[in-house]
Amino acid sequence: MAMAQDSKLKRAAHWADVRGRGLGMWAYVLNRVTGIGLVVYLYIHLVVLSMLTGGPAAWDPFIKVVRSPLFLGLDVVLISGWLIHGLNGLRVTLTGVGLGVRAQKAMFVGFMALAAIGIVAMALLVFRS
Amino acid sequence: MATQADRITAPAPSWGWFLQAITGLALVVLLAVHMVAQHFVAAHGLRDYAEVVAYLRNPLVTAIELLFLVTVTTHALLGVRAIVFDFGLSDPAEKRVTWALWGVGVLTVGYGVWLTWTIIR
Amino acid sequence: MSRDVPVKMFRFKPGDAAPRYQTYRVTVPDAANVIDVIEAVWRQDASLTFRHACHHASCGTCAVRLNGYERLPCIYSVAEALQGRDEMLIEPLRHFPLVSDLVVDVAGFFQKQEAAGLVITRTAETSLDGRRYSPSELFDQAGKLTDRPYNRFENCVECGICISACPTMAATDKFFGPAGLAAINRARQQTDDPQRKSLLLALADGEQGVWRCHSAFECTHACPQDVDPAGAIMSLRHDLAAQKIKRLFGGQG
Repeated sequence: MAMAQDSKLKRAAHWADVRGRGLGMWAYVLNRVTGIGLVVYLYIHLVVLSMLTGGPAAWDPFIKVVRSPLFLGLDVVLISGWLIHGLNGLRVTLTGVGLGVRAQKAMFVGFMALAAIGIVAMALLVFRS
Repeated sequence: MATQADRITAPAPSWGWFLQAITGLALVVLLAVHMVAQHFVAAHGLRDYAEVVAYLRNPLVTAIELLFLVTVTTHALLGVRAIVFDFGLSDPAEKRVTWALWGVGVLTVGYGVWLTWTIIR
Repeated sequence: MSRDVPVKMFRFKPGDAAPRYQTYRVTVPDAANVIDVIEAVWRQDASLTFRHACHHASCGTCAVRLNGYERLPCIYSVAEALQGRDEMLIEPLRHFPLVSDLVVDVAGFFQKQEAAGLVITRTAETSLDGRRYSPSELFDQAGKLTDRPYNRFENCVECGICISACPTMAATDKFFGPAGLAAINRARQQTDDPQRKSLLLALADGEQGVWRCHSAFECTHACPQDVDPAGAIMSLRHDLAAQKIKRLFGGQG
């Protein structure tokens, strides 16, 4: 019956198309992108932790590497992902049970502003210590 | 047709959403605790091998870290499930994906438990 | 005063390997709307297929994607469509099966509306693929409903724009979608029968119901008629959550 317009794979990629879309769409895409990034990080982190089985000889040199500015910078990226995903997730949870629906756009802007402040604060903390 | 196993792993269509929301809220706290305990209590924010072992030998720490692992793995894999489901799978395929992800989750937590045990014994 | 309008039109006929774009130049009055452009193209090239009826945004028939975004061309001015652009791009809605050029198959869409019991139906109606769900089939698991209303008047014009805008509708036809769920919410509000209310809530709670929504709110953003489908979905979720929590504590939710 149905004639295909785009392949299913192409259609499934429509979620990432933010051209001309509203703020809520941006929030959704941001949450999905940070979510994917965080899942990838989770498994990298778990794999890296296996180095502990190599004892101090394997672990301690690794710790020295992770103290470098590059890794600290990556940490800030990670923290940004958490803050954006977490705060936006809070908005999704609240609106998702019908609370604050009318204010959803304001909530997004407010939470992202909070996230921005949090990112700056964390960045300072990370690079100071 | 929902089998008994399905009723445990997927009790109602809304289970995924609610579990995601609950683990998400729990993670706000657990992540903060994990971050503080791992990186702001330790000197220089990172522990060398000896410090890691000492840290993990505290039963309260092990309990909280395990809780954190279970919660974050659940939340992460539910997220993956949501993304995969958006590809328009058939009903049987969706069931298989749910089962597979349960498997990945159990393996992930199992790995965490094994790793912790290997380090602290 | 009239103006020259260059149009890049999406073309597809059954049997084509792939869609293509064809450029036309038409002349329309200055104050024309985009539907006038589509009709002018058709006068040049009668092989173009498109849908239109009321020309004043109350039937929802003409919905298309204009310059990449969902619009009702009957009320969207050519002047605005050409602002900051050399040519106008016209394509069909997303997330519906394509029939021909700008025409998409809306049968599935209306079947979901019917599941909420809101559509004005003729008994002899068939969809393009020959399938038709009878009302009793749709309400089988929920019980027979024989006193469905035949008419209702409210904001939704069933144009399908929300479906095209919704990211969840992208790869699945099974999801009820913003219009369908808004219809369930509306039907729920319109009835006094508590059993009917509860059946409709259960319908929204199903595998393809409210829980698949990812809260992008794009449906509400795109809707030309202020239906606020996202608000309807969240309202259904609110009542379902309250019901589930009550039941968790042994109540009668």
